[in-house]
Amino acid sequence: MNKEKTKEKQPISPKIQDVEKYMKNNVGVGTSFDLGFRKLTILKKVTHTYYLTGMVETPIIVELMKKLVEINDYESNTVKIPEIIENRLVHQQVKRVKTMDEAVDEMLSGLIVIFLDGEDEAFVIDVRSYPGRSPQEPDTEKVVRGARDGYTENIIQNTALTRRRIRDERLRHEIFKVGERSKTDICISYLQDVADEGLINVIKKELENIEIDGISMADKTIEEFLVKQGFNPFPLVRYTERPDVSASHLLEGHVLIMVDTSPSMIITPTTFFHHVQHAEEYRQSPAVGTFIRWIRFFGIFASIFLLPLWLLMVMDPSLLPENLQFIGPNETGNIPVVIQIILADIGIEFLRMAAIHTPTPLSTAMGLIAAVLIGQIAIDVGLFSPEVILYISIAAIGSFATPSYELSIANKMTRVALLIVTSIFGVAGFTIGITVYTLLLASIRSLNTPYLWPFLPFNGKAMMQILFRISVPLTKDRPSIVHPNNNYRQP
Amino acid sequence: MSEANLEQNQHVKPISFLGKALLTGFIGGVLWSCIGGIAAYFNFTSVSPASFILRSWLQTEWSDGILGQVISILAIGLLSILIALFYYGVMRKVEGIWPSALFGVALWFIVYYLLQPMFPNVPQMTDLDSNTVITTICLFILYGVFIGYSIAYEYKDLVKAEDESNEA
Repeated sequence: MNKEKTKEKQPISPKIQDVEKYMKNNVGVGTSFDLGFRKLTILKKVTHTYYLTGMVETPIIVELMKKLVEINDYESNTVKIPEIIENRLVHQQVKRVKTMDEAVDEMLSGLIVIFLDGEDEAFVIDVRSYPGRSPQEPDTEKVVRGARDGYTENIIQNTALTRRRIRDERLRHEIFKVGERSKTDICISYLQDVADEGLINVIKKELENIEIDGISMADKTIEEFLVKQGFNPFPLVRYTERPDVSASHLLEGHVLIMVDTSPSMIITPTTFFHHVQHAEEYRQSPAVGTFIRWIRFFGIFASIFLLPLWLLMVMDPSLLPENLQFIGPNETGNIPVVIQIILADIGIEFLRMAAIHTPTPLSTAMGLIAAVLIGQIAIDVGLFSPEVILYISIAAIGSFATPSYELSIANKMTRVALLIVTSIFGVAGFTIGITVYTLLLASIRSLNTPYLWPFLPFNGKAMMQILFRISVPLTKDRPSIVHPNNNYRQP
Repeated sequence: MSEANLEQNQHVKPISFLGKALLTGFIGGVLWSCIGGIAAYFNFTSVSPASFILRSWLQTEWSDGILGQVISILAIGLLSILIALFYYGVMRKVEGIWPSALFGVALWFIVYYLLQPMFPNVPQMTDLDSNTVITTICLFILYGVFIGYSIAYEYKDLVKAEDESNEA
């Protein structure tokens, strides 16, 4: 990036032949079939209009051309041609650029550039129309009631969807370009008088320091540059594709990062407990929302700890309390229980992975094979004991009940690790495993935010917000973890 | 309904740092002794919260049941306020998780070695089985981190906020 900055930017040559040559040699007009240009003579002056076929709206260009050609019929003042032309470019987004680099960047983003012979400036007109879909409900964050729109791959539409919900004059959308070759647009959004300036500055600095040729994986790549994930499997930022979720986080004082070409917004700062909440809770009454949340917590909890605990009870039935003596397989199977569990877990993982890239009609059949055939027959053959299937299924469903896909997989890895230490060291393995797991989670910091907040370090008020879904009129303060400049929600 | 009665107009008083520390102490005591109770239920450890608080001087039937556990857990919650007060007074400036984990280990040593004569129902440290020792140490570490890290973090936050308001 630094090299690029020090390189002298090439000014626009007043000779139109030079421009044509530059475009041909450096940009590939004439070689790349998606680039094109049109020559027009206006009051005896040659103009070149460069465009990128796939990303421009033709009717607008035709309209602009008509107006330009009409100049020949109505005007005769050859001295003021640039001004006359600018006046006749009937579009709200017209600007002048002075260097070839800028002009080429704009052209490759889908704007049209008009060069005039004898001028060292060019006009850039925004006639972009990107291929893309219209807002749809995101698959991973469905709600029963409420808004069905979701972010798309187009950053302009995404800012509009946010702005639709927050018409505040203090909402800021700052844009950056990242990627030496891809020149991807990245926008950070925040409420100027609420969000923590420290955090905004950290994010800006990290974004400006990114040196990479392109970010085809968009948000994910940015996240990796931002939070320094390393080998930690836990998700350090929350993603959302719902404009209502991101608007409510903006109002809480979070900073959002949107990356062009991805419908997922990055919400920062994030803690573990952001990954266990879901928009659906806020569409229901507080009591129902709380109920849903507790059931979900139970599921998430079960997905991590149930299997290792059960394994412990199977390994050492003397640990079982008196009234739970019925737990544990009645006959010892042919394979050690821990191997059975891990095999079954891997089996479920096969299914999950296969389901992602199997077309829907086939995946129904796949589910049938998996559930009925494999499960039942594995028991009949004597490979698995029925209880293993039961507990594996509960743990798997618990994983699916985790709202954050990333977190559910990280939890699954934790579960396997706990299973292994439990099978080797018994009670000691289990308790030490859980302690180490908790301490490691507590020591993770994402953008200077302790990951287990508000549980560790404990914050009573915020923990209440997590355990109970509190009604919105009673939620008066912004969460202290975002260090809001303005703590009070109702101005 | 008048303006002041509207839910949205009721203000919550902010809790002071000391208040937060005491609350952390109580919740921490209740939470981790609850988990201790569960661990005792699954026979991970031979000592339960009740073996400390009630069974040492009360050998009735109910004191080993769920009622005895609940009373003991609440009592530990109250005792834990004192521990939080101690941490608040002495160690709140110590940053990070690991010192508070060490604090937990030290606390375990105090309770199981120095204070053990106070609890005739709790066996001597050397007589405890390994599962009990490991489980209780883990619980004390988590408890120590809960109390210590929370108070230290809150203190750091407070200092930072004061610095910022001084600058402004």
